[in-house]
Amino acid sequence: MADTDAAPPRPRFLRSDGKEKVTGAGRYTADLTLTGQAFAKFRYADHPHARITRLDTSKARALPGVVAVVTQDDLPDVRFGGLVQDRTLFAKDVVRFEGEIVAGVAALTEEIAAEAARQIEVDYEPLPVVSDFVAAMEPGVPPIHPDLASYEKDENVVADGNTMAYSTIVKGDADAGMAEADLVVRGRYVSDASQGVPIEPRAVVAQWRGDEVTIWSSTQVPYAAREGVAHTLQVPEANVRIVVPLLGGGFGAKCDLHFEAQVAALARAAGRPVKLVFSRREEFTAIAQRREGIVMEFETGVTREGRLVARRAKLVLDKGAYCGEGGFLGQMAAMHACGPYVIEHIFVEAFLNYTNNQPSGSVRAPTAPQVCWGLEQHMDEVARAIEMDPVELRRRSLIEQGAEGPTRQIFDEIGMKRTLERAVEMIGYERELPEDEGIGVAVGWWPCMPASSGAYVHLNGDGSGTIVTGAQENGSGAVMAMPMFVAEELGMRPEDFTILYQDTAAANWDMGSCGSQTTFNSGRAILAAAADVREQLLDAAAEELEVDRQDLELADGTVRVKGSPDRSVSVGDLAGAGTIHGKGSGDVPEVPGGDTGGCVGRLGNETFLAPQLITQAAHVKVDRATGVVRVLKVAAAHDSGMILNRSGADGQVTGGVVMGVGLALSEGTQLDDEGRQRNPALLDYKLVTSADTPEIEVDWIQVPAKGAGPRGSKGVGEPPQVPTAAAIANAIASVVGTQVRQLPMTPERVWAASRGAGA
Amino acid sequence: MKTAATLTVNGTDYPIEIDPHRSLLKAVREEIGLTGSKEGCDDSECGACMMLLDGRPVNSCSYLAMQAVGKQITTVEGLAGGLGVGALQAEFLQQGGVQCGFCTPGMLVSATALLRRNPRPTEDEVRLALAGNLCRCTGYGGIVKAVMETAAGHEPELASPPVHEARHATHRAG
Repeated sequence: MADTDAAPPRPRFLRSDGKEKVTGAGRYTADLTLTGQAFAKFRYADHPHARITRLDTSKARALPGVVAVVTQDDLPDVRFGGLVQDRTLFAKDVVRFEGEIVAGVAALTEEIAAEAARQIEVDYEPLPVVSDFVAAMEPGVPPIHPDLASYEKDENVVADGNTMAYSTIVKGDADAGMAEADLVVRGRYVSDASQGVPIEPRAVVAQWRGDEVTIWSSTQVPYAAREGVAHTLQVPEANVRIVVPLLGGGFGAKCDLHFEAQVAALARAAGRPVKLVFSRREEFTAIAQRREGIVMEFETGVTREGRLVARRAKLVLDKGAYCGEGGFLGQMAAMHACGPYVIEHIFVEAFLNYTNNQPSGSVRAPTAPQVCWGLEQHMDEVARAIEMDPVELRRRSLIEQGAEGPTRQIFDEIGMKRTLERAVEMIGYERELPEDEGIGVAVGWWPCMPASSGAYVHLNGDGSGTIVTGAQENGSGAVMAMPMFVAEELGMRPEDFTILYQDTAAANWDMGSCGSQTTFNSGRAILAAAADVREQLLDAAAEELEVDRQDLELADGTVRVKGSPDRSVSVGDLAGAGTIHGKGSGDVPEVPGGDTGGCVGRLGNETFLAPQLITQAAHVKVDRATGVVRVLKVAAAHDSGMILNRSGADGQVTGGVVMGVGLALSEGTQLDDEGRQRNPALLDYKLVTSADTPEIEVDWIQVPAKGAGPRGSKGVGEPPQVPTAAAIANAIASVVGTQVRQLPMTPERVWAASRGAGA
Repeated sequence: MKTAATLTVNGTDYPIEIDPHRSLLKAVREEIGLTGSKEGCDDSECGACMMLLDGRPVNSCSYLAMQAVGKQITTVEGLAGGLGVGALQAEFLQQGGVQCGFCTPGMLVSATALLRRNPRPTEDEVRLALAGNLCRCTGYGGIVKAVMETAAGHEPELASPPVHEARHATHRAG
């Protein structure tokens, strides 16, 4: 049986990009300068929703120093978007949110570019603004995309009116289940939108050479960016090369096609390289990636013994103006409204609604932290209703091996319940606390994302090697750890390898740094390539040493005869002729089956492959007079399968928990009545600082995951943020005596809740 | 209208021509070509642009380049000299204080300023001293630990004259 202590010790690993990062020598996209480069600025929409009646760029074009002005009229008339193709690179006829780009300008200086963008003349006919995402689906509300029915879309998308995608998770008969229950408990929770906020604002530099373009971009998903550029500019993917210099964080906010194509279009029009660097304000308002606002209504039928007989839930999510890559958000949210529980009857529906707000997209475990925050508070309410301890209720109702998921997926061996017991132990759940302190517990889950990937491993004549991978390093260290795995496979040292990565011209398609999938998929491909090299080395050494392959082993940079280490040949000598080139992809794990026939809008998340399972427990102190909450400690126990790089994995949890503390207490995008952001700056959108962070204790429940990632691993990076806000919420409620029903749980909201004023 | 000025960065004098409205950050990044200092917000909120001016940390995004004339400017590139890695940098890597690395230059500068004025800080003092530097990756624990470990292990070294002055002297001598 797997045990937390059973993992083999590994040498402490120092990342190979570390030196350039601590000396200031490392280059991020904004640090690049190309000879003759011009600077890009965008002219954004002047209304959140309006028809463009006149667009005149002549004054901007005439301004000395301006080298290009581009509008949608200059580009192929194609729309882009993940599951629904609903957007053009620049606004076509209508603007639908404040960050919509009407035109782009390139000029010799940033100042001239900014002035030229101002001098573009745009007349508008304002249209009704729909910012309330629940009201958006009411009858009579004007459609934000009147032509939605005619847009290209995934065949499984169920769209209607302003609902871009409707999805359900259905199991059994929820009505009958509710009737059978001893008690039915209801709860409503509202989460504000929030932001990923990587510290690096995005930057793009594009340079054409004939019909081919190289684009340096701070993207998490270079291959998706390449596909998007090729599609929107109607050029072959082979002509588009995306290179990612060091990436200054992403957290999902740098997923999807984002401005690479607009900058490439400007560079083509200007006949010179063009560079775009975002301000922090643009990083808040113009990107199509934020954590969506959600209104959640839960209803749970339960027996007095804590059996979850039925769950109904209605989720309404704010999609914002465009689909982007976030078409799946509603369905993903629906799975989180079920949670990692055994529930006999389920009917959960999710409405992903268009509004004139900033588009929503993947931000670290998209939808899960908000829905978990609502559901786990609801579960504490259920426990209270049946007068049962909340941990005991979870003990009785969490999934385990052989249990049935929301769509009758049957789980393999999993550590869900062990994470609960471990987190409760670490936080000291039973102990006495002062009356202004409390402990809350929350559980959550997140699927592994199967995807194809490919890698090469080349060996050089001096015994060094190069790993070529499409994987993207977002900072987590997932790519930086690859030499460690390859070296182990080949009996070499991690420092023998360099990595060629973040260049679409070098390696095969990869999903990018999203979905916690880098080790899971890219790692599988790299290990397969290393295994290919291993076979080639064994073949070559068997010939060289005139021994049977099976008598050979790889160690210390050599291939040698087992038991006779002096009979050996070095890897360098074997590779000297330059013939050792491995490649690999590995077999993509299959998503488990289930009974999903009754579900509407099936977009691929109806079952969860190798779910990552999490319990976090939070210890907080609440000042009732002010509503100010201080998080003292968070205990995090995670089942991410086998942990391959402990220090890297721990770093994901500590970072994710702190991000979760921000989501819980301070991070919320505030909108005015017309969907304009009121706090698009770090002065008013508050991240957690080093002075605010709690003590964080991390432990891993290492259960080898079947049919999942390399060596029994699962993903690691997204789950840490899933239950943090929920655990803090339950801790706050234990002090103030009632749930805080709006996220973030600001002092004002906590204060109001504690006074029974509602929040 | 550009003005001739000399900025002294990491002990080296750089004669440059700059617009008077240029920030110190832009001058150092774009005119001098030292891009280690980052722009994260242009609003003194994130600390990625932190430099030392005569040993005091400032957000260089909100400081005019012209105001820095005649002062000793230290950037991340000057903390350990070229591609060398000093004790503090090594501890940042060792303790998991570096992930994406974008906040790292500013963190290192702020931590250096702290250790110079307070060679044996408490953990609370470290956390307060770094509260003007935002990190979104690590959760700060590795960074704080790196500063504490550096303080514990390198006390004698930190009692010596400030690094930038020592380097300045070396530069002039060499």
